[in-house]
Amino acid sequence: MTNMTDKSIIQARNIEKIYPNGCHALKNVSLDINRGEVVVIIGPSGSGKSTFLRTLNQLETISDGTIHIDEVSLTDRKTNINKVREEVGMVFQSFNLFPHKTALGNVALSPIKVKKKPRTVAEQEGRELLKKVGLAERMNNYPSHLSGGQQQRVAIARALAMHPKIMLFDEPTSALDPEMVGEVLDVMKSLASDGMTMVVVTHEMGFAREVADRVVFMEEGELVFEESPERFFSSDNPRLQRFLGQVL
Amino acid sequence: MEKQSHLLLWKAVFVLIIIGLGFGIYAGSKSIDYTWRWERIPQYIINTEATTVRSPFDGTATIEKGNKLVVTSDYGDDPLVIKKFDNLLVSNGDLVFEGDPLVEVENWNIGPLTWGLVMTLQLSVVSLVFAVVIGLFAGLARISTNPALRYLSVTYIELIRGTPLLVQIFIFYFFIGTVLDLDRFTAGVAALSVFTGAYIAEIVRSGIQSISPGQMEAARSLGMNYVQAMVNVILPQAFKRTLPPMAGQFINLIKDSSLVSVISITDLTKAGREVVSSTFAPFEVWFAVALMYLVLTGALSWAIQRLEKRLSASD
Ligand SMILES: Nc1ncnc2c1ncn2[C@@H]1O[C@H](COP(=O)(O)OP(=O)(O)OP(=O)(O)O)[C@@H](O)[C@H]1O
Ligand SMILES: [Mg+2]
Repeated sequence: MTNMTDKSIIQARNIEKIYPNGCHALKNVSLDINRGEVVVIIGPSGSGKSTFLRTLNQLETISDGTIHIDEVSLTDRKTNINKVREEVGMVFQSFNLFPHKTALGNVALSPIKVKKKPRTVAEQEGRELLKKVGLAERMNNYPSHLSGGQQQRVAIARALAMHPKIMLFDEPTSALDPEMVGEVLDVMKSLASDGMTMVVVTHEMGFAREVADRVVFMEEGELVFEESPERFFSSDNPRLQRFLGQVL
Repeated sequence: MEKQSHLLLWKAVFVLIIIGLGFGIYAGSKSIDYTWRWERIPQYIINTEATTVRSPFDGTATIEKGNKLVVTSDYGDDPLVIKKFDNLLVSNGDLVFEGDPLVEVENWNIGPLTWGLVMTLQLSVVSLVFAVVIGLFAGLARISTNPALRYLSVTYIELIRGTPLLVQIFIFYFFIGTVLDLDRFTAGVAALSVFTGAYIAEIVRSGIQSISPGQMEAARSLGMNYVQAMVNVILPQAFKRTLPPMAGQFINLIKDSSLVSVISITDLTKAGREVVSSTFAPFEVWFAVALMYLVLTGALSWAIQRLEKRLSASD
């Protein structure tokens, strides 16, 4: 476990998650993440990766343990979770774009409704963001008229529109056709080089090697192993070896 | 080509069947001992009534060009000018005395059936607004995590759907209406909106549940609270999906409104009954009433189809 330093923006300590149906999805998981760090989480299906990621913005509540985001406790009843979520963007495997809004409408909606920005300002910022993810030409398209890769890039722009300090990615490329994976990873890489704190669940080992500062391996609800990419991929941890043997 | 001509054939079959049915009805109406008096019906929808305009003073009538009647007073009053009239009762240069008839003006009068239609429309529109509000909240309560809200909503829906509307109207008028001192119209509107609200609640519930949970999660992850997410993300999508069943429910509401005639609200159905007793032409009246309901429901259905088309831009 890394030391708790004043740099860490996410502090997850001894997290337990038991779903109402009794499934014990997280077992004593602790992880500290520093400002500007890119952490990639890998592990077999059902190991609790999504569950862990979703506890970080409280889409899932935890059964025990503590989580601090930028020194705000998520388990404190006085914490306004909506304020925390403004700081923590999330990108989903299935995009979850709002189908009744155009690309620009998707990006501008939350700044208008939550941050109460004037529409013209929110749309101007939205256009900038869509340009940044390479979708200047597609701003007025509805999601149904965009490819998977384009939809996921809109989803990233939509999360960025709230100016989050942290971005969570839950298998952002798993639902994409292979030829579209690259364009999404490129956006994520440029985000990482801009210094965004990122937690990424993915099966893209190339991305982990190239971009991650740290790689975390989870299995059966436990955080088994965490290391820098070089050491991670050359490790001889038997559980990790078994998993890597299956996916590579 | 083959397919096309087949389609045409079946369309022709349809037209033939309709003509056949029409002829059947016509033959049926001939075979019974009934004198059709369609000419009696229009006056109950709209009619004209002549009123006579009389001279207010002694004077001289002149007819100017453009068919304008001017009466100049013998005593220096302001001249009377009548520009529009249907029958002229004086000629140019006539001397007229105070109280003499000058012209006849025909006034359009709305007949009892049209008044009934207006009442039905009023009942339906007001009830619709309340029913949508009730249905929306009951539907949201139905899927709430709060058990008190959920059970209340289920109880409401089951009670209303399990009893006939006619009985509910009587209860609203005779019991609740007496306790709360409601007039007929309010009691009728209350019964109709509470009844329709229960069905709309179920439509709202299934509409919301048909939206993938990922939509709510995405909205919440962007910092929206529950209400913001509902209003900006979930309900607009659910609204679009529920339009067809809503349209059906709205049309039912218009038709169900005919039942309030039992508490003596003069809606289209009650007006029909009154006209029957004064014309002794029940067949014609009921056909006319049916046609008037069809105009209402048809217009509504058309409007909703237009709306559906407009909302399909994002498909
Ligand atoms: N809403 C839920 N209710 C009950 N059990 C759940 C729920 N969501 C997940 N689980 C269970 O929790 C465990 C962890 O699931 P999770 O989705 O976090 O795994 P994952 O590592 O993201 O897997 P994958 O790679 O398939 O996405 C699994 O056993 C799963 O069946
Ligand atoms: Mg997952």
